[in-house]
Amino acid sequence: MAEVVLEVQDLKVEFDTYGGVIKAVRGVSFNAYKGKTLAIVGESGCGKSVSVQAVMGLIPVPPGRVTSGIVKLRGNNILGLSHSEMNKVRGKEIGMIFQDPMTSLNPTMTVGKQITETLSVHEGIGRGREAKKRAIDLLEKVHIPEAANRVRHYPFQFSGGMRQRVMIAMAIACKPSILIADEPTTALDVTIQAQILHLLKDLQRENEMSLILITHDLGVVAQMADEVNVMYAGRIIEFGPVDDIYYRSQHPYTIGLRAAMPSSEEGAKRKLQPIEGSPPDLFHPPIGCGYFDRCPYAMKICESNEPEPFLVGNNHYSRCWLHHQRSQTKLADFIKQDTKIYKNNEIMS
Amino acid sequence: MHFVPGDPISGNKAMSIEIRKNLEKKYGLDQPVLKQYLYFLGNMAQGDFGISFTQQNRSVNDIIESHFPVSAGLGILALIFATAGGVLWGTLAALYRGKVSDQLIMFGVILGISVPSFVFAALGQFLLTELNKYFGYTILPVAGWGSILHMLLPALVLGLGTMAFLTRLMRSSLLEVVNQDYIRTAKAKGLNSFRIFFAHELRNGILPVVTYLGPAIAFLTTGGFVVETVFAIPGLGRYFVQATQQLDYTVIMGLTVFYGAFLVGMVVLVDILYGFIDPRISLAKS
Repeated sequence: MAEVVLEVQDLKVEFDTYGGVIKAVRGVSFNAYKGKTLAIVGESGCGKSVSVQAVMGLIPVPPGRVTSGIVKLRGNNILGLSHSEMNKVRGKEIGMIFQDPMTSLNPTMTVGKQITETLSVHEGIGRGREAKKRAIDLLEKVHIPEAANRVRHYPFQFSGGMRQRVMIAMAIACKPSILIADEPTTALDVTIQAQILHLLKDLQRENEMSLILITHDLGVVAQMADEVNVMYAGRIIEFGPVDDIYYRSQHPYTIGLRAAMPSSEEGAKRKLQPIEGSPPDLFHPPIGCGYFDRCPYAMKICESNEPEPFLVGNNHYSRCWLHHQRSQTKLADFIKQDTKIYKNNEIMS
Repeated sequence: MHFVPGDPISGNKAMSIEIRKNLEKKYGLDQPVLKQYLYFLGNMAQGDFGISFTQQNRSVNDIIESHFPVSAGLGILALIFATAGGVLWGTLAALYRGKVSDQLIMFGVILGISVPSFVFAALGQFLLTELNKYFGYTILPVAGWGSILHMLLPALVLGLGTMAFLTRLMRSSLLEVVNQDYIRTAKAKGLNSFRIFFAHELRNGILPVVTYLGPAIAFLTTGGFVVETVFAIPGLGRYFVQATQQLDYTVIMGLTVFYGAFLVGMVVLVDILYGFIDPRISLAKS
């Protein structure tokens, strides 16, 4: 296995709100490897963005607070560093791009200046010709045509896809070892999405970056990821290599997600099966499994006992009591059901 | 204006009918109102607002020329006070949102907006007198006109209301800006909060303040009647009030048109200025 660049252990994040304390992230652990892509998938509000923002130290405090966890960047804990120490990590070691390129760039500053800002903070390159040249190089690297002209332009003169490219240029300016992409393509249309993903892959290969990709688009995951974390209600409920997550999904939630995905096969007449119900209230997180209320295979034990991650394959874990040896008969039914989904859902073959 | 009982001449001491007739003839007041108006328009098109009815041998242009600079100087100084203070206090309030200093500033804002300027003017004069007495010499003159020192207190008093308003504007605008996505981006780039404030927050936060500057300039340079009266400043405002009381038709008309033109000019100026601060709004180039 490649070198571990980022190690997150037992991360917990809470937010104080008028309605009480929301436990948004309830113990998340994952590793990011050099040159590999880790995808974090899950529905809105499951804590995927909050987890990476906690890693970056971008959780607004108050109302947010990180209550426990270790985040190791190449072996050194970076969680709870002072602002000035963290500023040496952000932008230099870990780059980040955000969901909405329309609002993520400062409207009153030229894109060139916004790019060189990163360079001047981390590499001491000021405003001179060298900074401008670096900005042009970076814009060329993200395939912005007429880069020499474009550095002088303002964000409003760029289209959405172009702005996301500018964001990427900013994030990779200092050649970070980790790039966190928080739903980088959600706000873009499909053709632009493909281009941006392609660009990210190229840049990753070139700089041997570790890419942490947050998305709720399973298609994007299949295309990009090496490993996948499936998050639900503030926890990672299934983790594994991308093929295992797709072809040999083990957690009922992952299987439910797959059944809710449209097939691209021509003439397929399968009805999409939604997952009934809604995620648990994180003001009062469930004592047992977070998926208990919606799970078609829920057992008595699930209600008040939190399942540990069970090893279900090579480097493939699932947090579900079905994998416990005492629930094997139930598991057999479950697998039978699952094979039916496989048969119906030809997209996987 | 002509419906108001009396006319400019009747304000003078008793006069015989002959003298009155002569005066009316001299100033054209014996003509029909419509004709007077057309006459006024014709003169105005040539840049002449006519002569004052009540002040001997003074034309309206003359009055504007000699007294507008006084009002303008006072207004601009007041504007500088108001803008600098508004931006500074607004920023402080936003930085310490919810803390005691924020609440104190916002309390001051409410005072500044709701207490009329003549109260501040009188209070300011009183304080200054006491201070001058205490130190035994004149730190700042209490009233009158002449040097920049005479301007300081009236300008501050005149600018207080606008300063309070701008403080509130700046505070809310900054609070909106700090929650914007691009501030998060700036943080993710590893900028320190000092740099984020000056490079990203201030410029975006100040936009609404600039928008308000146009009306503020007009308000401050023309709206100083009360302050000018209290501090005995020979500004244009005083003449405006005087002219209204004496029904000095030409002066009233001339000053009104002048103020109107000035207001429009300032708003246009600020609109142009806006283009420099916000690149999204700039003159279209082919």
